[in-house]
Amino acid sequence: MKYYTLIIACILYNLSYGQKCTSKFSGKIEDFHDGSTIVDATLYIKKLDTYTTSDSEGNFVFENLCDGKITVRISHVGCETKQIDFVIKGDSYAKLNLEHHIEELSEITMNGDIIAKKTKTSQETLLKSKDLERFSTASLGDALKQVSGVSSINTGNTIVKPMINGLHSSRILIINNNVRLQNQEWGIEHAPSIDINSANQISIIKGSGALAYGGDAIGGVVIISPLNPILKDTLYGKTILSSQTNGRGYNVSSTLNKNYKSGWFGQLQASSKKNGDLKAPNYILTNTGEESKGLAAHFGKKNFESGFEFYYSYLNNEIGILGASHIGSAFDLGRAINSGQPLLTKDFSYTINAPKQDIKHHLAKANYFKRFQNFGKVSMQYDYQHNRRFEFDVRIGDRRNIPAVDLTLQTHTFLADANLDANLDRKVNFGFMGRYQNNFANPDTGVRRLIPDYDKYDFGIYTTTEWVLNDNLIFDAGIRYDFNRMDAKKFYRKSRWEERGYNINFADIIIDESPTQLLTNPIFDYHNISASAGVKYNFNSQSYIIGNYALTSRPPNASELFSDGLHHSAARFELGDIRYNKEVGNRFSASYAYNTSKFSVLTEVFYNNIKDYIYLRPFNFIVTTRGPFPLWEYQQTNAKLFGIDITATYNITNTLQWKNKTAFIKGDDLKTSEPLIDMPSFNTMNKITYNNKAWHNFSASLQSEWVFEQNEYPNFNFEITDQLNGEKKLIDISTPPPAYHLLHFYSEATFNLNKKTRLNVALGVNNLLDTSYRNYLNRMRLFADDLGRNITLQVQLNY
Amino acid sequence: MNIKNSNSKTMTINYLNFMKTTKFFIRAIFCLTLITSFSSCSSDDNNPKEVLEEELITNVTLTFTNDADAKDIVILASVAPDGQDGSSTETITGSFTANATYSLGLALTNASENPADDVLNDDIIKEADEHFFTYAVSDINLTMTRDSNDLDGAEDSKLGVNTTWVASAASTGNIKIILTHKPTATDDANEWGSATGGTEDLNITFTGVTIQ
Repeated sequence: MKYYTLIIACILYNLSYGQKCTSKFSGKIEDFHDGSTIVDATLYIKKLDTYTTSDSEGNFVFENLCDGKITVRISHVGCETKQIDFVIKGDSYAKLNLEHHIEELSEITMNGDIIAKKTKTSQETLLKSKDLERFSTASLGDALKQVSGVSSINTGNTIVKPMINGLHSSRILIINNNVRLQNQEWGIEHAPSIDINSANQISIIKGSGALAYGGDAIGGVVIISPLNPILKDTLYGKTILSSQTNGRGYNVSSTLNKNYKSGWFGQLQASSKKNGDLKAPNYILTNTGEESKGLAAHFGKKNFESGFEFYYSYLNNEIGILGASHIGSAFDLGRAINSGQPLLTKDFSYTINAPKQDIKHHLAKANYFKRFQNFGKVSMQYDYQHNRRFEFDVRIGDRRNIPAVDLTLQTHTFLADANLDANLDRKVNFGFMGRYQNNFANPDTGVRRLIPDYDKYDFGIYTTTEWVLNDNLIFDAGIRYDFNRMDAKKFYRKSRWEERGYNINFADIIIDESPTQLLTNPIFDYHNISASAGVKYNFNSQSYIIGNYALTSRPPNASELFSDGLHHSAARFELGDIRYNKEVGNRFSASYAYNTSKFSVLTEVFYNNIKDYIYLRPFNFIVTTRGPFPLWEYQQTNAKLFGIDITATYNITNTLQWKNKTAFIKGDDLKTSEPLIDMPSFNTMNKITYNNKAWHNFSASLQSEWVFEQNEYPNFNFEITDQLNGEKKLIDISTPPPAYHLLHFYSEATFNLNKKTRLNVALGVNNLLDTSYRNYLNRMRLFADDLGRNITLQVQLNY
Repeated sequence: MNIKNSNSKTMTINYLNFMKTTKFFIRAIFCLTLITSFSSCSSDDNNPKEVLEEELITNVTLTFTNDADAKDIVILASVAPDGQDGSSTETITGSFTANATYSLGLALTNASENPADDVLNDDIIKEADEHFFTYAVSDINLTMTRDSNDLDGAEDSKLGVNTTWVASAASTGNIKIILTHKPTATDDANEWGSATGGTEDLNITFTGVTIQ
């Protein structure tokens, strides 16, 4: 209202003075973020249909203007166009700002993609929406495996945890739309609660090159970004329908985006996925169905100078766990391993029975940023995550519908960040993070808590800097300090308390006692320093080299400290240790890249030395009334990992491309001189792609995936004795499965239905030859073969 | 001069808009925090509740009674205070009489609850179609049969809860009892019984049982 009054007042004022058309309006145009002059900007007065441009000093002048209100539109190549109102009365002068570095400052782009990588000197790979869409029916972990050196540690085929250079779980930070995922990531069978369909782009950073996100990324960082808003009035979206023969599964995913020139935007995304029992070449994998529902809403206003956004996402996964993997004793385990095929197979079904998981994850965030002239960008963010995890075990009686694990993890995080980029060659970034987390283990399960109730407090401060020394040399460095406090309330059985020897050093943490159990209140504080420094040197336009060092520090997680009890869904007894201290990693890495239009190669090497590395290993068994029962204990040792990852492409002709990705890694326990458990074996992937742009951008590819046998593994096999007759049985829990070779086929074409609508049809066949195989990094390998042939058909409509 | 003036008015308007957005934003954060902290506070104030494992079988007792002499009793008892997750103690009371016939009485209880939970009658027999007992002996001259009044267990075999045992020549050896939950196949053609698949909820061997 004020605005209109003002206009009316101005008009009246002008009218009373009458028309005087000799006024001069001059000024200067400067870049918003660094104050440099902007040359050749176009200024346009709509009312008068007059143009002018800024000169080499950024100056402009309009002459012979009538007094009164004018609207000037200022535009420049690569800048956000601006429209400003002025009231002219006599000669006037104004300083105007445009922003010429929008893309470099990665705020807003024309196509909605964030092009920039997150780091300069890290081993970072970017997966774009095109690379992700074909994984619509799969999981995040599957999509990430496109990157050399990234593998996964699986529980079956639906619980897929990303593994970067041999490290997984708490050593990998997963950042979803600038929120660090908090979803009880400690266990191997806890897959990240991320709907791959909500991701537009994923950045995979090997090692800890992004200190702003956390200092404990001993393995790496996965950054998932949704679609960035476009600054124009538009409505667009996409729908993906896919189906697969293996598991008779389907997936529907739809995204709708509404954008306004003013910067307002809204986005809605929903997906639903379902599959029944999957199939190995020779048998049905009973109870491996999955049902998943996801929803994400995103809205706000984003301009170059300021913006805010709200984001909410929900994901519900119900995942069946291979029925044959449910065992009662080490005898059962031995029989399952020796039988060579699952002892429980039924006809195909969509029904998901126990053992199963049911996980609901909510994420809500609000974020605000503002840019200041000649300074940089300041942003603040609050996020809240609510993760509810149920694990249902095969139980008897009324308890069969009560989960054996019922955990609620809630996390509040506040972030503040300042990015000083007034000088693009000397960027400085600093900020702080505060986080509170509460875990609640529901006692109504009737099963002793595997993970106790706890409160966790984290506080972190960091600063990073990036220096462009000259056109060919970039240097970056950062340092971060984190404080973590773990405040738990845990029950110990008296027998366990003494067996662990806690009665000697930890008597003071006992706060209550019952006939069989002790209630304790362990409070642990950790101080962590992390740092990184790296350099990138461009030899020429075709090749560059990167060198990076990162110091990381990770406090032990709740599972490593407190695990104590029967892990039903894993059919093993797991034991942590409260005496464990933090892990400290020293990672040295170097990359060499060579790119021409014909041939490109990227070679990445790393050496990671981890002090006090914590890992879970089969330890032996405990004698119980159900016979010997497999016991897994967390161990702490010193470890070193070394590896090399190669990615190469060669354009044989304009239409034919060959691609190779190879990874080799070696991990050793420095205390025992044994290899580390669960290290990926040497693997190489070769792909031949035919692409004909003229024929609806048709492409077809044949991919060969060759995974070698892991010859370097620690032997944790153990013998059990049948007390009845004294017979000894070897439980071969360690020997890796043999090498395997798989062929995959994939083809697609895109049809332009009209100017705005595109239809993409894709047909794929995974495991073309229906080869039986087992993967060392799949926990279910002890019980059953991996997936057989899977034909997928996907239709995608962009509109 | 005028330009600067009107410019600053536009600025003021922008600023007001900005203030509005900021206020809204702050309010939203505040609300979110409130909602969420309420839900997280509830579990926080008191100490967590102790969980007494419900699915435990702490005491397994096999009582063999001589059909001809009710005073001739052999008791095999296994006591595991922490249930199937902890260590157990096996005790043998009495010895079998050669050439006598015994009826076996089974008791499976959870003594960590008060009163003790009768797992056999409340859980296993109620869901007999999911359970199966198998027995085995070594070096001891015992045979067993599943009685005609034995209950139907998993996969159309007799459960093995009502059984008759015959002791022949004097000997010393071991007796084993296994309880399998949800076996995929069972066979009681051989009276001892055999099961494939499923999970062993109990697997206990009593060593040094004698027939005199």
